[in-house]
Amino acid sequence: MSYKVKLQSFEGPFDLLVYLIENAQMSIYDIRISEITNQYLEYIKAMEESDINVATEFMVLASTLIEIKSKMILPRMNVEGQVMETEDPRADLVERILEYKRFKKAAEILQDRQEHSQHIFEKPQEDISRYLENPDEYLSLDLKQFASAFSLFIQKKQKVEAVRKHYTRIERERSTMEGRIKMILGAVRRKIGQIFSFRELIPNKEDRYDVVVTFMSILEMAKERVVHVDQKSLYGDIEVSAGERVDEDSVLEKYSRDADGQNSIDFSKEIQEA
Amino acid sequence: MASKKTIKSAFESMMFTWGEPLDAKTAADVFDITKNEAYEYFKELQTEYEQEGRGIVIREVNGAFQFVTREENADYIERLCTPVKAKKLSQSALEVLAIVAYKQPVTKGEIEAIRGIKCDRVMEGLMNKNLVEAVGRSEAVGRPVLYGTTDTFLKNFGFTSIKDLPEIDDIESAINVDVEADAEAAGGEPGCEGQMSIEF
Repeated sequence: MSYKVKLQSFEGPFDLLVYLIENAQMSIYDIRISEITNQYLEYIKAMEESDINVATEFMVLASTLIEIKSKMILPRMNVEGQVMETEDPRADLVERILEYKRFKKAAEILQDRQEHSQHIFEKPQEDISRYLENPDEYLSLDLKQFASAFSLFIQKKQKVEAVRKHYTRIERERSTMEGRIKMILGAVRRKIGQIFSFRELIPNKEDRYDVVVTFMSILEMAKERVVHVDQKSLYGDIEVSAGERVDEDSVLEKYSRDADGQNSIDFSKEIQEA
Repeated sequence: MASKKTIKSAFESMMFTWGEPLDAKTAADVFDITKNEAYEYFKELQTEYEQEGRGIVIREVNGAFQFVTREENADYIERLCTPVKAKKLSQSALEVLAIVAYKQPVTKGEIEAIRGIKCDRVMEGLMNKNLVEAVGRSEAVGRPVLYGTTDTFLKNFGFTSIKDLPEIDDIESAINVDVEADAEAAGGEPGCEGQMSIEF
């Protein structure tokens, strides 16, 4: 019997088997195993010749077919010549084919239903938050999820720490406190009695780093009573004027010694030590 | 207690605002009525819209209700604009989906046993389309994941609930009837070469 199959068009071994049986117009309750097995194997051969990678699943069914075929050849009579009441070796296969056909049919029904449903349109839910007053926000996490999120965070942090141990982030040295103290001291000494605004002692007001350096320098100088600081109102401008020890160089010496060619507020150093 | 007319009217407004299928239980809580009562009211509304032949009808999805367009008007809507259509599913995807729909909750192994071929990739596609989802784990060895269909599946295939699926036994009996007829035609002789056609 000749048959034509479109290669690649089968969804699986059962799809192929069902096709072959239907094409041969056989009853699935009475499959001519030998004929079908031959066709099945020929198909697999054709697939291999076309360089299609034959899925192992196809081979599994092929071996099942061959097994059934061999069982069919065995005599069904016992020694006394009586016909044995044995189960049809094809029974299992028939059962599986039926099951497969049932779902193939169900798939057709689904396809049909989908076709119809495509003609129905819905409006997706819009943003209705403006109808809801003060919507409460809840963290929709259970304790387990929360705990795992936290441990993930810790893990990440540990990784970052591990990297930091080996590498230190360094930045080009900008102004040092030593230099800034020198600058402020110079300004204050030049005009004893004048009140300077904190702001005018910052060379670059845009740069937060510069602001901090000036602020720390002033604190240090105030501690040594080199300058006197005053703030009239909360968040008001800080006024800086000469202190009683303005002529002493002790604060400068201290910083020159500390600095020792290095920025005394070198945070990277602290990290390294930690 | 609010009159039935008020409640039904309110349900219409609520469905309009909500957009997504509105659960009968949620709607019932608004009026302090039982879920069954709310469900009945929704069904009454559904019948009214249906009978009056309105362009908007009420669709039920798993005990929730939603305004949708009437199927017959699809052509007119498409003349007005081009709604995005969901891509059609492949044959294998439909087969796997059918098995999940009818046998749920079901494991991949069970699906593979029926089709005789692996289904990992197809399942992945169906999950991405939100048609099937993991619904638990089987007690069997290895505790494999069990799969079931989603509300999106019901919507896309026009079922109100899983119970709405056509009886698979009907399909089976249809097969059996055909086969019995064929068997009679074949005269019951094993290996008979008689002309038989099986159409499913």
